[in-house]
Amino acid sequence: MKISNLRKSFDNFSLNIDRMETAQNRIYGVVGSNGCGKTTAMKLMAGLMKPDGGSINYDGLGPRDITMIFRKPYLLHDSVIRNLIYPLLVRGIKPDEQLLEHYLEISGLGEYRRQYAPGLSGGQQQKLSLVRAMIFSPKLIFADEAFSNMDIESVAFFENYILDRQKHNPATWVIVSHQLSNIRRLCDYVYFMYNGRVEAEGSTEDMLYRPGSDNLKRYLQFEGIETG
Amino acid sequence: MLETLLDGEIIGIITLTLRMTLLSTFIASAIGIPAGLMLERVDFAGKNLVVSVNRTLMASPPVVIGLVVYLLLMRRGPLGFMGLLFTFEAMVIAQVLLLIPIICGMVYTAAGRNAGRIRSFAVTMGANRLQTQFLLVRELSNEIYFAVITGFGRAMSEVGAIMIVGGNIRFHTRTMTTTISLLRNQGEIDQAIFLGAVLMLIALFVTLTTDFLRRREQRTDENF
Repeated sequence: MKISNLRKSFDNFSLNIDRMETAQNRIYGVVGSNGCGKTTAMKLMAGLMKPDGGSINYDGLGPRDITMIFRKPYLLHDSVIRNLIYPLLVRGIKPDEQLLEHYLEISGLGEYRRQYAPGLSGGQQQKLSLVRAMIFSPKLIFADEAFSNMDIESVAFFENYILDRQKHNPATWVIVSHQLSNIRRLCDYVYFMYNGRVEAEGSTEDMLYRPGSDNLKRYLQFEGIETG
Repeated sequence: MLETLLDGEIIGIITLTLRMTLLSTFIASAIGIPAGLMLERVDFAGKNLVVSVNRTLMASPPVVIGLVVYLLLMRRGPLGFMGLLFTFEAMVIAQVLLLIPIICGMVYTAAGRNAGRIRSFAVTMGANRLQTQFLLVRELSNEIYFAVITGFGRAMSEVGAIMIVGGNIRFHTRTMTTTISLLRNQGEIDQAIFLGAVLMLIALFVTLTTDFLRRREQRTDENF
């Protein structure tokens, strides 16, 4: 995916991303303080919002290859299982029992399969939304605070699962998270956004431990990371 | 008294009331639901004005709507040539005009709260435009159902408009509510109360039946 000169303005905020690139099958992190434009950028990239200007080149990917996981996931007013199979149904794919069992097992929702999905706890809803986004093997996944409601054990499990999945069923991930531990464990490359712009970018190691930008240093200090 | 009340005339009145209520609710739903969804979806100059007008119409007194329909359908009115005044059709027209803003407004409000999220979700799941529309209606079905039931209740209990355009003509346009009104004027309170109770029972029966059908449909849906 290549972004150039992406622009979006609201009454009191404007987003200007001059350039952002992702290489296939790598995991990217987007960090920055609240209100810096991360979610807006993600929505623009995922095609949920029309930009005022600029372009996004998806390198041949179509809408059905791209998905987004939200901080507050939308769950159908239906059972867990019906939520899980929804992306397969819209593609005309007959759900495979083994595949369903696999995703129910990793999300820990096997015993809740017939339950009303919006009645699940916040963490369970996020797990369901995460596995629902992976069940159809998209090529480009935007995850906006996708782990924020999960307990530490579940976060660690999904981090490992995603890393393991990258080996045999890879996708390009763009992850927004305030939990820098997620970014550190998962991401190959990090973008730091400040005031609607990409202010710094680099490998995860460099960005978290050798930040070049003062704003990034300040952000990392607030998030409890000691920089060199 | 029961024998008198359950004679052919009363049965005819109940049947006419049900036909009128169901038909007007159906027509108003067929127009009001898509209109509410479209109003939420489309942005245009003057949209706020349209929403405000619709909200005003939601609370408009039925007799005013009845009067407007009367003026349109009266012999010297613009639609007088159709000869619809004091007919079943005139009552349905008045009811439909009363119900459309209610159903449209309620659907618009419900869609305004949730449609954005549902559409975004549908896009991220790869749904096409038709699938997104279908999902939208399905996800808003509780709110739509509530709007339709509210419209049905309004139609069922309506007196003012249908009295004006229907004329409360015996064996022709007399409904349960206009009959109750007439009985009260004649001092036949017992019969009016009985008919009122029947009206309530019919409303309860329709609501319980649709509730039951909806729950059964949901249970069937879960049996994947």
